[in-house]
Amino acid sequence: MKHIINLYENINDTARNNSDCPHVVLPEEIFFTISVIGVLENLIILLAVIKNKNLQSPMYFFICSLAISDMLGSLYKILENILIMFRNMGYLKPRGNFETTADDIIDSLFILSLLGSIFSLSVIAADRYITIFHALQYHSIVTMRRAIVVLMVIWTCCLGSGITMVIFSHHIPTVITFTSLFPLMLVFILCLYVHMFLLARSHARKISTLSRANMKGAITLTILLGVFIFCWAPFVLHVLLMTFCPNNPYCACYMSLFQVNGMLIMCNAVIDPFIYAFRSPELRDTFKKMIFCNRYQ
Amino acid sequence: MSAQRSVSNRTSQQSASNSDYTWEYEYYEIGPVSFEGLKAHKYSIVIGFWVGLAVFVIFMFFVLTLLTKTGAPHQDNAESSEKRFRMNSFVSDFGRPLEPDKVFSRQGNEESRSLFHCYINEVEHLDRAKACHQTTVLDSNVQLQEAIRSSGRPEEELNRLMKFDIPNFVNTDQNSSFGEDDLLISEPPIVLENKPVSQTSYKDLD
Repeated sequence: MKHIINLYENINDTARNNSDCPHVVLPEEIFFTISVIGVLENLIILLAVIKNKNLQSPMYFFICSLAISDMLGSLYKILENILIMFRNMGYLKPRGNFETTADDIIDSLFILSLLGSIFSLSVIAADRYITIFHALQYHSIVTMRRAIVVLMVIWTCCLGSGITMVIFSHHIPTVITFTSLFPLMLVFILCLYVHMFLLARSHARKISTLSRANMKGAITLTILLGVFIFCWAPFVLHVLLMTFCPNNPYCACYMSLFQVNGMLIMCNAVIDPFIYAFRSPELRDTFKKMIFCNRYQ
Repeated sequence: MSAQRSVSNRTSQQSASNSDYTWEYEYYEIGPVSFEGLKAHKYSIVIGFWVGLAVFVIFMFFVLTLLTKTGAPHQDNAESSEKRFRMNSFVSDFGRPLEPDKVFSRQGNEESRSLFHCYINEVEHLDRAKACHQTTVLDSNVQLQEAIRSSGRPEEELNRLMKFDIPNFVNTDQNSSFGEDDLLISEPPIVLENKPVSQTSYKDLD
């Protein structure tokens, strides 16, 4: 957040800057709009799950966890925008204690959201995997109690890691831990989904059906993994480059696109409901009921 | 964010000044970068990264579609009802298996349970599963088809059908209505307690 405040203060300073690779500055309104949309979407998902008793199963709780982490990420951006507005209007001091503390809290909120997203996606993939390959024992493996315990453990770890990472953010092991979570999780999810896909393919072969159906499966998988990769990899690479080669001109040019990379993460929060939660017909029906009931009342 | 702040933390320890411009100095600590003598294009990392990412995703997509095309499709000469049954059983995904007491409460469940075991075995031992298929599928299949078609059936019949669903990568052309429900992503089709839900899913099936 501080860097954005400084950016606003020194936007006209041409004496020392990366004039060859100017920072790409996106209007704050775009960020604000995307964040608000993200918060609203994920809030709808949470409301739908709370209202509809049918949706209170472990699978939907994991989707709720993903919705919460996306919502936190969007909230982070909104809070940052509000603080910048206050700063520009002169209500806040640039180096005040309150602002520093607020900045720390907001940063840990962001990291909490990142880690929460990563772990929620992993848990969703693992839950689907158990549903397929251990379907008969699914109910005994994935009970409500265990699901809630797993979610509590995940969020506690994320909270602890978020606070630790913000405190020790200038240490290299922190950065390496943070950036290595991304490829690890990607590989984990890739393995699970590809194994599930292979099973479906072997079934499809027996029925002598349509490559069209399998093509749909391939498209789904590509969308799931592709959205995740496209939205997260740029930011992870930014963190890596910032730690290891801040003075390299090539790295500096990449880092000038920081706001674009940040926006991609916001877009991930907006897209995730469409590819995870809203694919469920039950949730869509609940959502429609919520809207139409509100209209009648 | 925090990573950029890390650089500023380092420099703040070094600089003793507390002037108002401390921050901008800290921020631009990493600022002055010389752009002379660049061999490649200055945005080469950006371009290389995005191109690499796109290539990776497209490669992944092609690998998945290739996986769908390899191997000759199994020419199944079984009755159409058997095929229909298999297709129906693939329809919803991630079907939640029933509670054990409900699963095994009826005699018909025995057959469907054995059928489900067939599907599970199929994954591991294809040959054994084939024999399993041909003997068990037809009988229980017809029974379950009747169960599906009769509207007055209680919910357990539907649950029996639903419980061995497998993620619906496979869709049927006959029924395009579950085109959007057929992927990895939709809900478990049946909720034990709530009839309207299961009937809705049942309607989707048919």
